[in-house]
Amino acid sequence: MSVDRLPTYSVAELNTAIGSLLERGFAPRFLLEATVSRPQLKKGHLWLTLTDGAASISGVVWASKLAQLSYRPADGDGVTVVGKLNFWAARASLTVQALDIRPSLSTVLRDFERVRQLLEQEGVIDPSLQRQLPSQPSTIAVLTSVPSSALADMLRTAAERWPLTQLIVVPIPVQGSVAPTIIATLEGLAERTDRLGIQALVLARGGGSREDLAVFDNEALCRVLARYPVPVVTGLGHEDDLTVADLVADHRAATPTAAMVALLPDREAERQGLVQRQSRMRDALLGRILRERQRLQDRAFALQNQSPLEKIRRQRHELDQKQLLLKALSPDRWLKRGLALVSNAAGDAIQDLQSVKIGDQLNIRMSDGTLEARVDQIQRSSPNPTP
Amino acid sequence: MSKRQSSNELRDRIEAWRKDAAGLNYEEAMQALDLLLAELQNDSVPLAELQQRVLHGEVYLNRCQTLLDSVEQSIVELDPTTLEATNNA
Repeated sequence: MSVDRLPTYSVAELNTAIGSLLERGFAPRFLLEATVSRPQLKKGHLWLTLTDGAASISGVVWASKLAQLSYRPADGDGVTVVGKLNFWAARASLTVQALDIRPSLSTVLRDFERVRQLLEQEGVIDPSLQRQLPSQPSTIAVLTSVPSSALADMLRTAAERWPLTQLIVVPIPVQGSVAPTIIATLEGLAERTDRLGIQALVLARGGGSREDLAVFDNEALCRVLARYPVPVVTGLGHEDDLTVADLVADHRAATPTAAMVALLPDREAERQGLVQRQSRMRDALLGRILRERQRLQDRAFALQNQSPLEKIRRQRHELDQKQLLLKALSPDRWLKRGLALVSNAAGDAIQDLQSVKIGDQLNIRMSDGTLEARVDQIQRSSPNPTP
Repeated sequence: MSKRQSSNELRDRIEAWRKDAAGLNYEEAMQALDLLLAELQNDSVPLAELQQRVLHGEVYLNRCQTLLDSVEQSIVELDPTTLEATNNA
């Protein structure tokens, strides 16, 4: 290639050409996964190095953007940066300008663990401190973003389950640097809780990524929540998401809807309960009347038993019974079966031949009369032969 | 006392019970009902007062049912800064 064909630039022209190439050939916005190294504030701007261990690039968050961020990266934090390339032609320096920085999941979970351990050590997180939820709260406060699908779900659930409870909805921001705002709202509401008659507080946020819930791991926010004067129910994110706020709350519901289910009674179950009470009341009335009637009958019976006529009747009955017994024991029934009763002239019953001799007069009583007889002969039975 | 006088008196009494019950919330009306039920079930109520107690219980029961049938939920939205009620709800 001859020297004539090579493009010739001044330094300024070269840098401008590089800048122009980058502008035309590179994505205007991109996501960058990186670890933050050596973040430094200079004149309000946050300068940092973004690295993945093998390569690095400098980055900057301008002061105007920094104020809007919900999260301030620390040295070693894993982050996801929404960025664009800044190329300064004067020095040909390349920097990633961060439009947004979010902590990566590992950073969020690390922060969760740190705050959780700290609050556990201090006894702020302690399951034994969890207060019982009111069974039929007359008023509850709902802190969530407005409008939101989470709020719509909660309002629908509350209307279905228990419209008797007044809902005080307090909008809170859930995007950006919101922890100070939520804390201020919580503190202000805590002072008014008694006056507003609030019996429980619901802190809710709809689904999203675990990183979106990082604000609910905020240490100061969780401390305020733990001190809240009435029981707190959290319904944050999805079923699997656990934040520090869930751990300091008196009840953790898996979702905003579940928070309402936990706090409000079921209208249909209550209806069933009313029907049962109505039935119990009727049973109590009928049962009492039946018991009183039975008592009355018992007394009438007792009174009847004491009457002279009844006494005579009982005695007559007793007499009849004895007569029957006497009849059953009488020898007449043997005589009727063909047997006879033998007695001597003195009327003594003859039981064996020992007491009889020839010439004795005997009376033989049969069922229908008596024979008089004289003994002519005595024949003793021969003893039974022994086998 | 004539039968008519007695009937009027009972009607007035039920009306007074209804007015009292109207000031109770669901939980209070339910507690009052349960208290009456317990009395009825342990035979402590004199027989002469039995019917009246049952009618009184039905007044509480009706109050609970009326409250359960209400469909309008009271929703108040507070301004997040002033914590005063807004007109959005």
